[in-house]
Amino acid sequence: MKKLKITIKRYDGQKSWNQDYEIDYEKGRTVLWSLTMIREKLDSTLVFSSACQHGICGSCAIKINGKTVLVCQTPLDSMLNLFKTDRLIYEPMSHFEVIRDLAVAWEPKMEKMKKVNPWLIPIEAGTKENGFLQGADDFQKISSATDCILCGICTSECNQLEVNDGTFLDPFIFNKAYRFAVDSRDCASEDHVHPAYENELWKCLHCMQCVSNCPKHIDLTGEISALRNMSMKMGETKNQGARHARAFYEDTWKKGQLNETMLPIKTDGLLKTAATKVPFALRMMKTGKINPLELQKPVNGIKGVRELYDYAKEVEKSES
Amino acid sequence: MNLKYGFFPGCTLKSAEKELMMSTMEVARALGIELIELDGWTCCGASHIQDYDEFTATLVNARNIALGEKLGVEKIVTVCNTCTLMLRTAKKKIDEDGELKEKVNTGLERAGMQYKGTAEVTHLLWVLLEDYGLERLKEKVVRPLNGLKVANFYGCHILMPPNVMGFENPKNPQSMELIAEALGAETVNFDQRLACCGFHAVFPAEKEVNKLTRINCLSPKEAGADCLVTPCPLCQMQLDAYQPGAQKGLDQDITIPVLHLPQLIGLALGIDPDKLGIQRHVVDVIPMLRALA
Ligand code: SF4
Ligand code: SF4
Ligand code: FES
Repeated sequence: MKKLKITIKRYDGQKSWNQDYEIDYEKGRTVLWSLTMIREKLDSTLVFSSACQHGICGSCAIKINGKTVLVCQTPLDSMLNLFKTDRLIYEPMSHFEVIRDLAVAWEPKMEKMKKVNPWLIPIEAGTKENGFLQGADDFQKISSATDCILCGICTSECNQLEVNDGTFLDPFIFNKAYRFAVDSRDCASEDHVHPAYENELWKCLHCMQCVSNCPKHIDLTGEISALRNMSMKMGETKNQGARHARAFYEDTWKKGQLNETMLPIKTDGLLKTAATKVPFALRMMKTGKINPLELQKPVNGIKGVRELYDYAKEVEKSES
Repeated sequence: MNLKYGFFPGCTLKSAEKELMMSTMEVARALGIELIELDGWTCCGASHIQDYDEFTATLVNARNIALGEKLGVEKIVTVCNTCTLMLRTAKKKIDEDGELKEKVNTGLERAGMQYKGTAEVTHLLWVLLEDYGLERLKEKVVRPLNGLKVANFYGCHILMPPNVMGFENPKNPQSMELIAEALGAETVNFDQRLACCGFHAVFPAEKEVNKLTRINCLSPKEAGADCLVTPCPLCQMQLDAYQPGAQKGLDQDITIPVLHLPQLIGLALGIDPDKLGIQRHVVDVIPMLRALA
């Protein structure tokens, strides 16, 4: 009979070790089934969590061969085929405190989430007795964001959290900030957007791991982009991220293409660039990678490009 | 399949990453792939412009795609992960939303243009696998890269999000390995194979991205690789040009050369390294070439 080899990263509260298990392979089973088999047949000390078994409660995410998934929704065969292997490695999610084995702590994350005021700050029209009225269009704006099941997969896969000191908000926290910031029943967008901005909104690397792995297909990077845009409209335009984004917008209007020589100065300002980027710039010039003397001509059809910018502004005006 | 494509170079190929322009053109010529540069293309917005204004991002890229459609080609090819993502994102949005398409075309009309939706957007890596074929590529190899240990650094935007990119499973892609092996090289598995280079936040998250660059260089080095290879000029720039900065203050040597995918292919096709722009790198590639020779 075909055997399935599974290595699990164990943790007993003090020490951590890898433990190998072997179970009989059965076709068409989920990863959750393999965990249950191990706990029932081989090792009753193994700790993992799962409740609904239907992708609803969000409690069962772990890393399998480095990728985070909901074990109740993931066929074993899909993982075996994907990694072309008969050995799977199960680990707890990254960027969480581990309690035991595959179980992680959520309390610190909930504490962190409070920073963005993850609750409705109601408009006057709403009352406790009668509730709120919300039209279909307004509901659409929050519909997908409210699908979050707090599984933590986005956090586990996040590249910024891999190198961050912990200030950067987890993607699902940005989702919460967004969800209330655009809710028509909430009167204080700024109270959600501003803390997101203060907690390193512009440090998102745009790596797309969160949006690609979210089991509820929430457009997390689109939301981060929207939060950035809202923060700029609220006046936070002097930071590096906002200046950088604006440089791309402006350069495309001016010449059609990017002026790479000027980009650091536009983003950091002349003084900071002079203080921090000189060795870098010299290296780049030495290899011919940047040439400050090169003249940039506008692209063919630049007039048309500028027409598009005017048009976008007109559309925005007419729609707001 | 006729091998004629509209070519969207992207800004880096005209400035900091000219060697990618050189090597792409050399390789295309050697393989008999015709690349026609779009006349009047603009910056794709590099995954930043939409933070400032999303609709403008869609409009300028609709214009870029329309330039390709005008050439009558089936596909527009890029050699940059992020350009591919930006163009494909705009295309997907417009193709899936008739109202948006109308709105976009009302704007394009003012520039005397029209977006039809007839041209696909693809990346050279995909063209080689999908249209050209590995067997044909193998036949063109005159200097197999025997003994060269290659660490493939995919970069995020050629894989994700899968509903926009969709060429292969982002959890365990194989396209880069297939190409490297077809060229005779040995591929090395390493922890950071699918990591992010951090380029898009190198200004606001300087400290973190610096740390990431260290890990991204050390990981393949410790796995025994001779070089990193990437299909994205932004990853290349981050890993190569920022490498000396990442080395600063670190005892351990992180030095590893970083090649563009067309440079690796060009070497196997026997093209003179000078013509591939090898000397334009910040981290010296020559020692690696000597070891190969
Ligand atoms: S896109 Fe940003 S938030 Fe999402 S995983 Fe990457 S760094 Fe984290
Ligand atoms: S945003 Fe998606 S991946 Fe993140 S916790 Fe919510 S459901 Fe899970
Ligand atoms: S057990 Fe509830 S989501 Fe998997």
